[in-house]
Amino acid sequence: MTSATDQTRSDIAAMLPRLRRFARALTGQMTDADDIVQIAVERALTRIDQYQAGTQLDSWMFSIVRNAWIDEARSRTRRGKVFAPAELGEQVGNDGEAEMHTKLEADDVWVAMRKLPDEQREAVALVCVEGLAYRKAAETLGVPIGTLTSRLARGRDALQVMLGGAQ
Amino acid sequence: MSVDENMLMAFADGELSGAERDEVEAALEQDASLRGKLAAHQRLRARLSAAFDGALDEPVPARLAEAAEPRAADVVNLAERRAARWSALKWGAMAACVIFGVFVGIGVMNNDPPLMESESNGLVARGALATALDTQLASEQAGAVRIGLSFRAQDGRYCRTFDLTEGATAGLACRDADRWNVMMTMANAVGGEVRMAGAPPEVLAAVEAIIVGEPLDARGEAAAREANWRR
Repeated sequence: MTSATDQTRSDIAAMLPRLRRFARALTGQMTDADDIVQIAVERALTRIDQYQAGTQLDSWMFSIVRNAWIDEARSRTRRGKVFAPAELGEQVGNDGEAEMHTKLEADDVWVAMRKLPDEQREAVALVCVEGLAYRKAAETLGVPIGTLTSRLARGRDALQVMLGGAQ
Repeated sequence: MSVDENMLMAFADGELSGAERDEVEAALEQDASLRGKLAAHQRLRARLSAAFDGALDEPVPARLAEAAEPRAADVVNLAERRAARWSALKWGAMAACVIFGVFVGIGVMNNDPPLMESESNGLVARGALATALDTQLASEQAGAVRIGLSFRAQDGRYCRTFDLTEGATAGLACRDADRWNVMMTMANAVGGEVRMAGAPPEVLAAVEAIIVGEPLDARGEAAAREANWRR
């Protein structure tokens, strides 16, 4: 049992780059992305016994990251601060890194993704960024596959419009 | 034209095979505007990759690597927690069996009102389950009942998925004139907060079979509650 747990832990560790990528697409913020990945990893490890070996670890982890972001966004709404870019900037250690964060976050694609409704952004992030199959993406989000594809189609259309045909 | 937007999108995402894929490929050969749309899909995916793939090449920050690192001390704790959870699960399963006995009408020996009752036309939600189906939004903190998706069924009724946090049971209920008919229930072994979002696959399949359009969003859900779930 211990070895299975260790195996799952090292599988999660190996997924960290992908979890960061997904979280960036989901939050559109560099620091937020790493914060929710950390929260998600901690949650996953305290409930590792709920993970059933043989089921899809990536779907499980993506859904935990997504729930962590929903919780975070909800508690921010409660506290009345949806985005606080200046404050986020202060948390960043050094100027070079801060500059890189600012530059990336200002990228057209990041800006456009932030403007999508959450439901469309989740679908785009799982399918177009993470490359999940429709069935798996739908399971991760807990919605029927037809709902996933229609959110995906609307998200894509909106991105095409914002990004000028994605040239 | 037989190839619609959704089919083209599915093709671009590698979701089609066999006859459907052949159909799109044949249409692409003949239709320049379709080729243009496919190219736009591919450009968008390429731009999304370019924007976010950087995360794959960057070194992972130490705080994240440490969060995931196996540590001997934790393993013991986890084992203990697992043992504790197992007994909780067993008790939950036993409680669920007892509750199910109550559902089908034996419930005189239990002081808690039953959550479901068998009537001539099927299982009907009662007590905390009926209250949650009537009033609780998916976004609200769950008590004994967690609400998942709310949606319109083909027959015009509002339906909602739920799971019972204690009894490890998930299900689907649809609103008749003055009651919630429980359409299905099933054991939901992986309960708790870190389960897959929403309902288990079997319940989702039942949703898929009867849903019209999309699940209600938060506003639609609140409006339907306001209208007392009347069609």
